[in-house]
Amino acid sequence: MIEVHALAKHYGKIQAVKSVSFTAQKGQVLALLGPNGAGKSTTIKAITGLIRPSAGSVKLAGFDVVKQPVLAKAKLGYVPDRPYLYLKLSGRELLRFLAQLRGVSDAEKKSQHWLEFFGLQNFANELIETYSHGMRQKLTFIAALLHEPEVLVIDEPMVGLDPRASRQVRSLMREYANEGKTVLLTTHSMEVAEEVADRVLLVNHGMIAAEGTLVELQRRINDDRADLEAIFLRLTEEAQLQPAEPEVSRSRMASD
Amino acid sequence: MTRVPALRQLQLLFAMRLTGLRNSVVRNPAQYLLGTVLLALVYWGLFTATRRGVRFVFGFLMLGNTDIAEAVIQRSLESFFLISMLGVAFSVLTTAIHTLYSSEDLPFLLSQPVSATQVFHLKVAETYMSAALMPAFFTLPVLMAVGIERQAMLAYYPLAFAAVLALYALPVVAGCLIALLLMRVAPAGRVKEVATGLSVILAAALIFGLRFLRPERLTTMSMEEMNVLLRQLASFEIGWLPTSWTSQAVWGALEGRVTGGAYLLAVLSLLSLSLVAWLAAIAYKEGWIRALDSKRPKLDPRNIPAPYWERRLQAFGHTGAIISKDLRLLLRDPTQWSQLLVLIALAGVYLVSIGSIQLEGFESQRFRDAIGTMNIMFMGFLLSGVGIRMAYPIVSLEGEGFWLLRTGPLRARQIVMSKFWHTLPIMAILGTGLGVAAARLIDVSPSLAFVSPFAGLCAAVATTGLGVGLGAAFPRFNATSPSEIPMAAGGLLYMALSLLYALLMTLLLVWPAWRTLQNPSLFIWSTLTGQLLLLSVLALTLITTLTALLFGSHKLEWYEPGR
Repeated sequence: MIEVHALAKHYGKIQAVKSVSFTAQKGQVLALLGPNGAGKSTTIKAITGLIRPSAGSVKLAGFDVVKQPVLAKAKLGYVPDRPYLYLKLSGRELLRFLAQLRGVSDAEKKSQHWLEFFGLQNFANELIETYSHGMRQKLTFIAALLHEPEVLVIDEPMVGLDPRASRQVRSLMREYANEGKTVLLTTHSMEVAEEVADRVLLVNHGMIAAEGTLVELQRRINDDRADLEAIFLRLTEEAQLQPAEPEVSRSRMASD
Repeated sequence: MTRVPALRQLQLLFAMRLTGLRNSVVRNPAQYLLGTVLLALVYWGLFTATRRGVRFVFGFLMLGNTDIAEAVIQRSLESFFLISMLGVAFSVLTTAIHTLYSSEDLPFLLSQPVSATQVFHLKVAETYMSAALMPAFFTLPVLMAVGIERQAMLAYYPLAFAAVLALYALPVVAGCLIALLLMRVAPAGRVKEVATGLSVILAAALIFGLRFLRPERLTTMSMEEMNVLLRQLASFEIGWLPTSWTSQAVWGALEGRVTGGAYLLAVLSLLSLSLVAWLAAIAYKEGWIRALDSKRPKLDPRNIPAPYWERRLQAFGHTGAIISKDLRLLLRDPTQWSQLLVLIALAGVYLVSIGSIQLEGFESQRFRDAIGTMNIMFMGFLLSGVGIRMAYPIVSLEGEGFWLLRTGPLRARQIVMSKFWHTLPIMAILGTGLGVAAARLIDVSPSLAFVSPFAGLCAAVATTGLGVGLGAAFPRFNATSPSEIPMAAGGLLYMALSLLYALLMTLLLVWPAWRTLQNPSLFIWSTLTGQLLLLSVLALTLITTLTALLFGSHKLEWYEPGR
């Protein structure tokens, strides 16, 4: 389970995230949507412990990411939007290293299973520097899944994946949640969100603009036939039409 | 759509680069200010030293001949130009491969409606700036000092500097041509390794060549011998070398003349730079590049088990895992293993220097012991210099892959300690080895022979702790090469503190060394005072190491990547 409470993050005078709260339950896929610069990546970075919140808290499987980072991160699997890996290691060596770091039992067998699942078994002994972007993305998925985390956070899952791998990843996310795990993903693909997410969280200007199931969101815009793309466009356009908040009130929100 | 003229295209490309530089300065003013202050200090040092040198040569009573004095200065300038040229040659090969073929903006630039030749002119200019600008900058105070001492005309300054800029273009052209050739003949995916190996071999050969000349002999020469040497130097002119044309151009500029050598140099450098840009564009268009391609994958589906050494390291948990990963990266990444070669070359030069000290005429054990005491301090300085290459960058070398550790179930303290244990064996072997070897070469008394490796080991532990700790406190995960990592405030702090440590350690060991000088047969370490001093050195080492590691761990725990 992911519990985000009153999360805020500012960089100097810039408010990237302003008091965001939400919960992703066990067995649920939650999609975090929003336009570029909305605060999705900052939220993800705070959840994964890459940055510290300026205010508020994040709990993963009941453990606070700031106060109990080791316990919290032991429950986390993370796939970033850009798969930066150690290029001079082979795929198998990287997985072995991460398995040791996370104390994974029967790591060789699990690695082999995932390598075969993603069709990387023939390349596993080659250096990662020889991999294509998509192969690196697949390897990052394996690295995130190897220790069977209770919480899987995926930033832009489909970038660089071929159609077959893309389909595999979509069904994987769904099945993973069905096993009682929590999946949080950010994506710009409305189709992906519509297909796999139980709930959608629309972030705009560092705040939650809307939250709910597809049906709940359709109700909100009074259009029961609208797809997620239409809902997204309508809600983000509404937000743009609203007058900009003065800086003073932004600062106040951060300190709340 | 109107076609943009070629010259305007080139102008736009350069303007884009200048805007990028200006933005960088505006966003990091403190960093650039610090760099400017440091460069100014170096500049001032070179300027002062050159002025004194020129005055010495002209004021040397026995010389008595202005022509010879001028010839000596000219030959000295030629030597300086030659060394700077070799410095450019050392760095230009890897720089050229990066800028001409693997820079990230190349695909973008080549996709613009600009001719490939224009793009490669920009890239050759970038190569020139990266490899030659710093040596050119350090040549400027030398030229200024010569000009002021020789009361040069105003025209001297731009003319002399232009001559030097033209000279340094030649190794850049040579480096670009070798890079072009390597792109074709080096094994696929191995061009950077081959280029790095070549550069390190060139640098090591240069250092050993300079050591072979044994410049320390100058200090033991009599006035008559020095006079003879200077006269020989004055007559030693190799007219066909570009360095000679440059010194002629500089000397002509002193009198406001533009010499034939100056014209030749200008034409040669401009033409060759342009030619190499044109060749690079052709090579690129013709698909001449082979070495940047990845190797053909072997498609080996075997589940290869972990090797024995890795299984042994697994017993050390997180630390063992990080060390085995770092060992692999150290041996596979040319930017890392080349540092090991540099380290071996440095240790070799140090030992050759120690071995070449003229001890034959000094039978006294006291003199040997005095040299042995000095050696302890110099060993500390050397380890400090090695640490900035081996220990300081080690945390930052995680690079963009740092997120893998950051999102893993471990504290920053564990990361920092793993890096410390990874680096310590190399540093400890070097420190202890130097201590033993230097003590044997100098043939010091037993007291110093005991403390020399002890001091080497302590200095290795402290410099590793300081390097890893401060490197973790001031990480630069986006640096493009390990040598770039210490070029910031953290690197300067490391250098200052590690040199301070070496001084303090030497101060603590001065008293026992003094007692040994008085009585070489005394084994001072068996006395209570001697043992207390050893404990003090040990305490200083532990305090330095642990404070730095704790500070680094704390700062890394709070580290956040830029937005």
